[in-house]
Amino acid sequence: MVNPDLGQEERLLRPIESPTRAFTIFISVLFVLSAWGFVAWMAQLRRGLAATGMNVPIYWGLYITNFVFFIGISHAGTLISAILRLAHAEWRRSITRAAEVITVLVLFFGMGSILLDLGRPDRVLNVILHGNFHSPLLWDVVSVSCYLTASTVYLFLPLIPDIAILRDRQGPHAAFYRLLALGWTGTARQQHLLEKTISMMAVLVIPVAVSVHTVVSWVFAMTVQPMWHSTIFGPYFVVGAIFSGIGAIIIGMALIRRAYHLEEYLKPIHFNNLGLLLLVMCLLWFYFTFAEFLTTYYGADPSHMTVFLSKTEGEFSHLFWTMFVACFLIPFVLLANNRTRWTVWGTVTASVSVEIGMWLERYLIVVPSLSRPRLPMEAAKYSPSWVEWSLFLAFASAFVLLYALFTRFFPIISIWEIREGRAHSAREVSARVESYLPAAEEPAQ
Amino acid sequence: MARWGMVIDLDRCTACQACVVACQVENNIPPASADAAARGRALAWIRLVPFGKEGKEAGGEPPALRLIPVPCMHCEHPPCTKVCPVQATQVGDDGLVAQVYARCIGCRYCTTACPYTVRQFNWDRPVFPEPMERGLSPDVSVRPRGVVEKCSFCHHRLQLAKDQARLEGRPLQDGDYVPACVESCPPGAMAFGDLDDPRSTVSRLAQSHRAFRLLEELGTHPKVVYLSKGEWGGES
Amino acid sequence: MKMERRRFMGLVLGATSGAAVGLSAGHLLARTFATADSPYDPPGGVEALRLSVCSLCPGGCGVQVRCIGGRPVKVGGNPRHPVSGGRLCPKGLAALQSLYHPDRIPAPMRRKGDRGSLASFERRTWEEAFAEIGGSLRSIREKGKPESVVLLRGGALGLGARVGSRFLSAFGSPNEVRLDRGDEAAALATSLTQGVKAVPVYDLSATDYVLSLGSGLLEASGSPVATARAFGEFRQVRTGRRGKFVQVESRLSMTGAAADEWIAVNPGTEGVFALGIASVLVNEDLYDRDFLASHAVGFDSVHGTDGEPAMGLRALLGREFNLERVALETGVSVNVILRVARELHAARASLVVGPRRGPLLPGSLFDHLAAQALNALIGNIDKEGGVLVAEETPIPPWAPLAAKGRGADGRRRPRLDSVGKHPLPFACSDPEALAEAMLSRKPYPVEVLLLQDADPLVFTATPSRFGQALERIPLVVAISAFPSETALASDWILPEAHFLERWDLHTTPPGISFPLASVAKPVLEQPLVDARSAVDIFLELARRVGGEVASAFPAGDAPALIRHDLDGIFAAQRGAVMGTTFDEAWVRMMEGAGWWAPGYRTAEELWQGALDSGGWWDPFYDHGEWARVLKTPSGRFDLRPGLLKELAQAPGRPGSDDRKVVPDLPLLLFEPLSIAGGFGAELPFLPALLDPGHEERWETWAEIHPETAKIHGIKDKGWVRVRSTAGSVVVRCLVTWRVVPGAVAIPVGLGKRGGGRWARYMGANPFRLLGGERDSRSGLPDFQATRVRLEAAQGPEMGPGALAAWRGAGLSSRDLQNTQVFRS
Repeated sequence: MVNPDLGQEERLLRPIESPTRAFTIFISVLFVLSAWGFVAWMAQLRRGLAATGMNVPIYWGLYITNFVFFIGISHAGTLISAILRLAHAEWRRSITRAAEVITVLVLFFGMGSILLDLGRPDRVLNVILHGNFHSPLLWDVVSVSCYLTASTVYLFLPLIPDIAILRDRQGPHAAFYRLLALGWTGTARQQHLLEKTISMMAVLVIPVAVSVHTVVSWVFAMTVQPMWHSTIFGPYFVVGAIFSGIGAIIIGMALIRRAYHLEEYLKPIHFNNLGLLLLVMCLLWFYFTFAEFLTTYYGADPSHMTVFLSKTEGEFSHLFWTMFVACFLIPFVLLANNRTRWTVWGTVTASVSVEIGMWLERYLIVVPSLSRPRLPMEAAKYSPSWVEWSLFLAFASAFVLLYALFTRFFPIISIWEIREGRAHSAREVSARVESYLPAAEEPAQ
Repeated sequence: MARWGMVIDLDRCTACQACVVACQVENNIPPASADAAARGRALAWIRLVPFGKEGKEAGGEPPALRLIPVPCMHCEHPPCTKVCPVQATQVGDDGLVAQVYARCIGCRYCTTACPYTVRQFNWDRPVFPEPMERGLSPDVSVRPRGVVEKCSFCHHRLQLAKDQARLEGRPLQDGDYVPACVESCPPGAMAFGDLDDPRSTVSRLAQSHRAFRLLEELGTHPKVVYLSKGEWGGES
Repeated sequence: MKMERRRFMGLVLGATSGAAVGLSAGHLLARTFATADSPYDPPGGVEALRLSVCSLCPGGCGVQVRCIGGRPVKVGGNPRHPVSGGRLCPKGLAALQSLYHPDRIPAPMRRKGDRGSLASFERRTWEEAFAEIGGSLRSIREKGKPESVVLLRGGALGLGARVGSRFLSAFGSPNEVRLDRGDEAAALATSLTQGVKAVPVYDLSATDYVLSLGSGLLEASGSPVATARAFGEFRQVRTGRRGKFVQVESRLSMTGAAADEWIAVNPGTEGVFALGIASVLVNEDLYDRDFLASHAVGFDSVHGTDGEPAMGLRALLGREFNLERVALETGVSVNVILRVARELHAARASLVVGPRRGPLLPGSLFDHLAAQALNALIGNIDKEGGVLVAEETPIPPWAPLAAKGRGADGRRRPRLDSVGKHPLPFACSDPEALAEAMLSRKPYPVEVLLLQDADPLVFTATPSRFGQALERIPLVVAISAFPSETALASDWILPEAHFLERWDLHTTPPGISFPLASVAKPVLEQPLVDARSAVDIFLELARRVGGEVASAFPAGDAPALIRHDLDGIFAAQRGAVMGTTFDEAWVRMMEGAGWWAPGYRTAEELWQGALDSGGWWDPFYDHGEWARVLKTPSGRFDLRPGLLKELAQAPGRPGSDDRKVVPDLPLLLFEPLSIAGGFGAELPFLPALLDPGHEERWETWAEIHPETAKIHGIKDKGWVRVRSTAGSVVVRCLVTWRVVPGAVAIPVGLGKRGGGRWARYMGANPFRLLGGERDSRSGLPDFQATRVRLEAAQGPEMGPGALAAWRGAGLSSRDLQNTQVFRS
């Protein structure tokens, strides 16, 4: 039997065992917003994609932008958590789960965005029945499903001991927890197996995660369209994905910390460390963007240049420069500065800015290339319709809703890992640090 | 195996757009509404692409405007077929790039991958107000909303021509199979036939020093060849 | 326990609502992906190709209709027909949209309420229509006032036009007025110079160099398909001969786009440019001395018998059209004028094409005369690759009408449109003057106005005056297939059968050199609606009037009339039934050698052959029949220097003022092919084709040059109000280099308040800007005299209801079904 007495960690179960009224209101608001998305979806089913603002030649719009953006965010969790686990970064303990949940949930909305974008969603099974493995879109389907499966397992495994705790406390939904706990009793063998599987999954999930966003980028890069057909798109997208993913973790942590009063668990040091990671990604993002645009500019291929100029000084320039400020200037200033990076508001502001910037980046990859086809076309303008905006809003709300519901049923901070940390880490870390150093000489007598 | 191709002589073309209407009539393309046209959603399997030259672009020459009819190029290396996730567009046995309407899921990946922007998406349900549907051709299906369609080089005419030739116990000859646009072109600017047959009109015309293809540099190997004395086409 | 129940209820509720949502979503999905709203009844039965003649424009293309089980499913060109040669223009290809148009007039309609709306009409039978109209006509004739019946004809051609015209003459009225005057100025110029009232035929296929003075040759010529085919021949690059095409105009038209060179001239100076070329030719001694010496007059100045010196063309060119002055006036550099003149001379065969823009826009008489003079200078008259005069089809005229009696008396009365009173007695019609006469009731009031395929409320220069005039006439009868704006303002609408539903005989269309007679048999046995052909309508009206009117026709129905005419052709002993290109070459060769190889022996064989092939023709053209092509009193080509001088000095002719700063801009009108002649907007395929050079579709636009836009503060794509002294229209503004600075170019053909769901309320009608200005000698409206101002506007000039109706014309299937006013 697992010890149901949690001591200090008792407060981590409070959101599950005694939800507040504010939580219910919050959930209801999100539910209404998501339901509005259902209304919009019905409108789209009735009128078809004519209900959107898309046209010839701008065949892709908000939905594909959201697809890339959501899949990007999904890199937050599993990838970061796996890297931190493998690196034995001890400060990870209170943030891994919050991060992993983001991954699993947001992937559904990434896939959902593709479904919304289909002219014939009723035929989606053709992807299996008549799959064409030359199509990067099919690579996407495969790789995202893999990632979803792996991430779900990777989220679930470290959850088992905590579910067992909930089961043993005999609260509401005990049967549900009993089912999910898979008979966890916390024996040494179980413990050993669990840890082994978790580290195996952590190794496994990293290449899958990298592949996911690489493949997403290839949806664009494998065509010959101006400013899509680029070899650095794979790593560029992965960097962008991790960038926006970390931002999402920081925002999520700040919300949990505030809502459930977990200041003890999510300390400025966590925000600082993630902020440092964000800063690194911010610089990498700038490097990739600079490289991409400079090569285009110097190559000066006319069809590429029309797209380039539409971004830098044309129709999309206001979005482009907003993106630049939001993705680089704001986060760089906030994160390079110790005083702001060590604060929650500083990192959160940077993260929000990054999210906006990265969404714009995705939009600016999808739309401008399409609006400047190689053969002159009627200069069609794309402005998303209310249906598209509503579904974007609804997807975002539904994501937060599911996330909130997760915290309602499962501890959002891994209880057993914190306890394990308290029990063993300090010793382990000092032992490890000692192992790095030359053996201490015996003090001279 | 024949390599079906088209030659369009831009010196002869008067931009009358008979090809556009011939195609719409032949292939049951629903007429657009003003509203759909304003939103850039009118369907056309062949359209006239304007190349204007004026001022700096014309490089001292007087300003001029050329209009180039652009159907599907039926590329030998089509960028569209390989990206389709459900094999709804494929190069058929006869070398034509075909679209399987009944399988298409409407993801519009092919439309974005096509550098010529000739693929069309059915944004709306096709509308033929009573009794206009009586004029529909029974040879071509009306596409439902939500799928991609495009110029088929009037593939149904190839089937008919093959059947006819088989009935008459002879091989297919130059001129047996001609798409509706070519057939109706008033100045005779369009020709169609087997590019591999050295005796066909198209293969002779395609050898001309005036011949060029659109966006040749992309390596798509289009099977639509243009003739012009001037340097029109290519990059905009 | 209580808890359990609540949970159970919740579960049930959840499941139910889930199922409901699921089901409704499933239902939606099923409905969403259904292909069409109405069940489609596919054709079945034997497939057949039937022949007919397209009547959507005067082009006279033979068509071939693919029918399955008797149902037409495709209209294409008749490959054996010499005009279409198996090809067809966009309008002809869209012909099934006019046959299956949802807004065709379903039966005779009598107005019982206000003008202008479908709702004010009620359905009647043909018998009721004939009883009322026939009775009224009969009593007018019996009262001895047959001249008070007016027939206004639009583009209608073929047998219907001939029968209508004959009916009116026999009835006793001189008032047959034509609305489409596109060929008038050109025919007038030929008449003045060659003494033959005929549309000049340009031998495009055989020429090497074309200098087009702003003509709409490749968009809206008399027979667009024949012209396009000739253009293809002209560009016959495979034989090593590729003609050069030079277009002189102020707005780059589609013809200009297809040309090798666009020479942008100041508005209205095409004729001056031509005379500038002429003066270079004379100065450099590059003109055809032989032709001028043997076949022309007016080149050198002569002293008349009364001692008055008459200035010759040479002197006129030297004095009034020297190079510098022409360069200044046209805005074209001297070098370009010199180069074009030398190219024109150097070409093996060259051709100067007059400024006819389209079926509604004839071009000015001065410019046409200048083109004719230039053609004569190069010796192009009746030369291969030059300007020809069509030979008429040898159909013998129907027996002359009685020279005495009511009919003859009526015919001798003065025409209401005062044609014949002008300084030059050549203009054949003047609908604007007719409107004024109807309003003033002078010299006599109009009792009945018959409209045959005419929409004067849209396509006269003074549409609002016509609208007022219409209200003063006791009986207005419109023969029309569509609810056109004028039909909706009439008392009776008699639905005309579609060309695929009637017999017809078409003779040589304008612009074709050889005689032909195309025979059309109904493709559909029964009209789809309760419609009749104009021939049947007029024949029945003639029977109702009775007497000499009833007996004015050689036969009692359309097929018999056509047979009568074909028998006449048989008697002429020439030509052949239409055939393949091989047949054509054969006939041409034989006739060239003086043989006749018709391929028929009896009149019956000709009849059958014509029905099977599309008709009869004679491909042989005999060049240099001077007695036929030069019928002036002198028997020579008259260069008309005096008239050129007079017209050049006429007030209002564009000078060389700096137009960039003048607030009043000249208005340039043009006719896009798909809506040329005022028809096309009715068929939904066609408004999408208006101008492939830019994205303006389904609406009327005004083109202005970027400099003009800057001066007048007008934005690209914005709405702009174009105002003249006569009226104003609101159109979309397009800033483009395709028009010269200081001018406004607007397409004609949209802006109707009728014509069915697609045409109605689409675009604006620039004819509302024209007013009453006249070309001083031809009497035609002066389409170049209008000056306009521009001001920014808020939006299109339509009420919200109209806008909704227009948008509804295709916005969604539901909207469409709700707007079916006429289907019961």
